Amino acid sequence: MVTKEEIMKIAILSKLFVAEDEIDRLTEDMQEIISFADTINRASDAEGDFDSITGLSNALREDEVVPSYDRERILQNAGDSDDGCFLVKNIMK
Amino acid sequence: MSESMIKAYHRLLTEKKLSCRELTQAYLQAMERDNPALNAYVTPTPDTALAAADAVDAKIAAGDAIGLLEGIPMTLKDNISTDGIRTTCCSKILENYVPIYDATVWELLKSQGAVLLGKTNMDEFAMGSSCENSCFGGAHNPHNTGHVAGGSSGGGASAVGGHLAVYALGSDTGGSIRQPASFCGVVGLKPTYGAVSRYGLIAYASSLDQIGPITTSVEDAAVVFDAISRYDEKDSTSQGRSGEPVSSTLAKGITGMKIGVAKEYLDGVGEDIRQSLEEAMKQYESLGAEIVPFDLPSLKYALPVYYIIACAEASSNLGRYDGIRYGYKAENYTDVNDMIKKTRSTGFGEEVKRRILLGTYVLSSGYYDAYYKKAQNLRGSIVAAFEKAFAQCDVMLAPTVPTTAFANGSAVSDPVETYLTDICTVPVNICGLPAVSVPCGMDRQGLPIGMQLIGRRFDEEGVLRAAYAYEQISPAFPKAPFGVTL
Repeated sequence: MVTKEEIMKIAILSKLFVAEDEIDRLTEDMQEIISFADTINRASDAEGDFDSITGLSNALREDEVVPSYDRERILQNAGDSDDGCFLVKNIMK
Repeated sequence: MSESMIKAYHRLLTEKKLSCRELTQAYLQAMERDNPALNAYVTPTPDTALAAADAVDAKIAAGDAIGLLEGIPMTLKDNISTDGIRTTCCSKILENYVPIYDATVWELLKSQGAVLLGKTNMDEFAMGSSCENSCFGGAHNPHNTGHVAGGSSGGGASAVGGHLAVYALGSDTGGSIRQPASFCGVVGLKPTYGAVSRYGLIAYASSLDQIGPITTSVEDAAVVFDAISRYDEKDSTSQGRSGEPVSSTLAKGITGMKIGVAKEYLDGVGEDIRQSLEEAMKQYESLGAEIVPFDLPSLKYALPVYYIIACAEASSNLGRYDGIRYGYKAENYTDVNDMIKKTRSTGFGEEVKRRILLGTYVLSSGYYDAYYKKAQNLRGSIVAAFEKAFAQCDVMLAPTVPTTAFANGSAVSDPVETYLTDICTVPVNICGLPAVSVPCGMDRQGLPIGMQLIGRRFDEEGVLRAAYAYEQISPAFPKAPFGVTL
């Protein structure tokens, strides 16, 4: 059973606000989805071979310094920037 | 079977019966006329398209040979990064985001002379089956605008089905290329995990996401797949392909091919769809293939396994949207934490928030073993069951979706009810297999029906050959009353 308290805790972990008037409907939705997800717990505990899921091996490359994207262009998408850095409000006082 | 669209336009261009500018303008004019009804495009790019078209015309005028995709008008789903062109994922949180680099697939197609008509509509962050979770409103079905185009690559399928583009690139995490292709009466290929680079694809669930083409014919799907399936050092899952292009193997025929049919795939499928599939099976037998029935009991766990894994990965992937480095940023906040929370809470839509919460829940202490770990183990069992099945057959035949396109507005009310329609498509992503959806009929409402062909890893050739053989003898299905007719 999914509780309102659990939804509030999960919302904090997800960095999301849940408004008072949303909480009941969201808890109901989550309860329905979790009950659906619970069907997997009816499966026998067959251990699958997790490593072979994709059958792929990682494509690795040498760790070399290569030219990357232009800092000024990257910062154009930022809300605020200053002196080549992303700008945010004080984190510590 | 007539010439494929890409080949027909290529011939007209090289024979100088049509200039690339004329072709592009025909599509741009059709978009202006028909996009208000279909809502397939969210960001048209006429200047980019005409500049590319003029470059192709200059090449033809100079007597240079052009490639098959050169000058062909196409679209990209709005989660594929385009340098200098807004890429929103159809989310408020990225409404003003302009990438500073190209996705590898776009870099490849651009270098082959593709003409980009615009970016197409999708469910926000590719989360949905109707395209209605888009912050721009949903894309509509070209066969009946009272119905959805499907999702999440609904805009691309609507554009191709509505003849507002020759081909589209979409992405498929749980069926997002195949399902809208099925709904809109077009071909949609989800390649093998690792066959096409995802560099520059805005991530939803990284162990499942794959880019692929949406086209009006199997041959065109093969041509586009050949053009984008390359090794890319920027995607650690990229494998590349060796051997001859898939498009040159299509006509080899399917004599002796074993086509597996799992009865579990047909459970709960609508009557019109079942009839179309049974008819297709008969046609396959007439082409010299053998239909092999078998059981796939673990299929019933595929859907919950998919939703647990996809949402877990999404909750992590979408952690990057904080309003600091790019995208929408909330106003009026007290501190950094408050800013991040307000940005995410007002920037993400309902379904995205629901999936982030579910993903965080299944990964949280106390639930990790019961959901996430269990789902990963079951994922292994499903992979093993498919491997066993492929010992008995070369490709599998299944419905793409148990229904045809839903009426507008009917999918958004009940989340689980909507998730259930992904039952036939998600197993392919869970196992990383290639699969194609091809049109195989119309239901009694006049809406398209899709048939899915699923293959072994990296056997795009097998699935496309089977699809091509069927397409050659299937009747011509009605065309949607939109777009370019040349």
